[in-house]
Amino acid sequence: MANKKVLVVDDEIHIVHVVAIKLRNNGFEVITAANGSEAFESACAEKPDIIVSDYQMPVMNGLELIEKIRQTESLKDIPVILLTARSFGIDDELKQQLQISQCLSKPFSPKELLRDIEDILHQTSVMQHSA
Amino acid sequence: MRVTVRNKSVPLVPIGVGVAAFTLAAALLVHLWQKSFGVGWFIIEAVCCLAGAMVVTWLGWCINHLLESVTSIVRQLNKNGGVKKIDAVNEAAELADAITKKIENYQHNEFVLEEHIKQLQIQLQLACRQKQNTDAIIYSIRDAVIVADGFDRVLMANEAAGKLFGFDYKSGQLRPIIELVAADKQEFIKILSQSRNSKSRASRHEIEFVEAGRVRVFDCIISCVYDQQEQVCGVVAVLHDITKEKEVSQMKNDFVSHVSHELKTPLASIMAYSEMLADGEAGDEETRKEFYSIIQAQANRLSRLIEDILNTARIESGLIKVDKQYVSLTILIEEQLEMIKGFAQEKDIKVVGQKPIVFDQVYVDKDMMSQVIVNLLSNAVKYTKSGGKVTVSTEVDDSAGIVRVKVADTGVGIPEDAVEHVFDKFYRVKANEKQAKGTGLGLNLVKQIVEKVHGGKVFVTSKVGKGSTFGFELPLAVAEHAAVGK
Repeated sequence: MANKKVLVVDDEIHIVHVVAIKLRNNGFEVITAANGSEAFESACAEKPDIIVSDYQMPVMNGLELIEKIRQTESLKDIPVILLTARSFGIDDELKQQLQISQCLSKPFSPKELLRDIEDILHQTSVMQHSA
Repeated sequence: MRVTVRNKSVPLVPIGVGVAAFTLAAALLVHLWQKSFGVGWFIIEAVCCLAGAMVVTWLGWCINHLLESVTSIVRQLNKNGGVKKIDAVNEAAELADAITKKIENYQHNEFVLEEHIKQLQIQLQLACRQKQNTDAIIYSIRDAVIVADGFDRVLMANEAAGKLFGFDYKSGQLRPIIELVAADKQEFIKILSQSRNSKSRASRHEIEFVEAGRVRVFDCIISCVYDQQEQVCGVVAVLHDITKEKEVSQMKNDFVSHVSHELKTPLASIMAYSEMLADGEAGDEETRKEFYSIIQAQANRLSRLIEDILNTARIESGLIKVDKQYVSLTILIEEQLEMIKGFAQEKDIKVVGQKPIVFDQVYVDKDMMSQVIVNLLSNAVKYTKSGGKVTVSTEVDDSAGIVRVKVADTGVGIPEDAVEHVFDKFYRVKANEKQAKGTGLGLNLVKQIVEKVHGGKVFVTSKVGKGSTFGFELPLAVAEHAAVGK
């Protein structure tokens, strides 16, 4: 997965930090943002291969970010993993509508997150080749 | 009762002739006795006798006529009883007897009727009293109650119903309900009709009405009233305002969601960093130390949050142990300012305190008051943008015997309609939710500690876009006690 770029978005600086270390240790290029609004700007500028975003964030939350990404032609196909500390999960209809690849509940395992990122990028790559 | 009457007329002519002949014979005998017989006198007497006979005949005719009239009256009296035809010597006595009996009969009937009227009057009074009682019961119910007949006309409505649907509940009787209910509440009529048509004993609905821009939710129970043929002849609707319950329920859900988020976030850091350490992902000693330090900080954060939740519950239940002592509020504030400075610097916010004042001793639980001050300070920093300022001031009002602490910020401010709720448990200002995370417990805890534990008072003023000032007042400690406390 060398050269693959991951955008990690969370207002919890420690979460961003630990995920970034885990991904960098495994050969990913990592860019970070503290809220949805910052993340959208980074996404437009950096065109990441995948986005890992928290749900509850100030200024612009995770769902609003994904919605905006899906409405932007150049970003709409980027897979997104949503991290959430909510007591109630995201309902399946919304998940499908916003094409959220995976929802991970906090607390999560960085190992599991890495595995999910690799799986999703692999599937995306296979689909792109077959297309 | 049967009344007897005669069917023969009095024989008037024989009686008249008899009387005349008897009178004439008597006159002749008198003349013969007195030997004063004269033709002239005899003619005069004969004429007189004839006249007398005619008078007697006329009188007889009158009596006959009278008897026939009485007989006719008796016949009418006996209309239902029939008439027994007998020959009687003393018809007048029988007639009198019949009339007396009839009068007695009428008197008895009159008595029976009077008794009946009395009974009806008592029943009417009872019915009136029962209606008054029913009205009083329905009027005293705080829920809105409307009783409608089979033609959707209002039979009864209480004041709450009048207020809710916008009509005069006292003058609305027998008016079609559709005319009484305000246009924006016609959904209720629809539900009423549906319930009547369904003929179910009782149905329950949740109805929302918007009043002055505020949504009010009602639990509406509609019961059908049945007649003896088991046909629906009316409906009774009771509307209970559950707006508050809904709000509390929503606040509880929000609380669970917020608390869950607040608890899971530090836990997520603790677990992720622990896993990284266990998996040897922290390459060097410096990184490991950093990870340990983060785990420790997040564990402390988790502990504080749990303590906040527990303290709120303890204060509410009155189970908290209060350890009061004499302390200077200014010194307490200085200590908390030191703690918050790091957080403020991260956000590039200037925190300004003030010089200690001469006497601001209060008799308080030091740990609890520290929590009050730190909650106010951290809130001020959280809701102030980079480059802003937080100012803390203390003033003593000797005449009122109180010390007042104010924490003013140049933050986002609070909308007017939300200001009165900021100290409510679990309440979070919707407009500012994105500014910072929180559980809605911090300010409630401040209020509980200041007011419930220390007998003080909290206050807030705010202007959107300009900032907010939160503060509290506490009674000053008595000087000599404070000196002992030192």
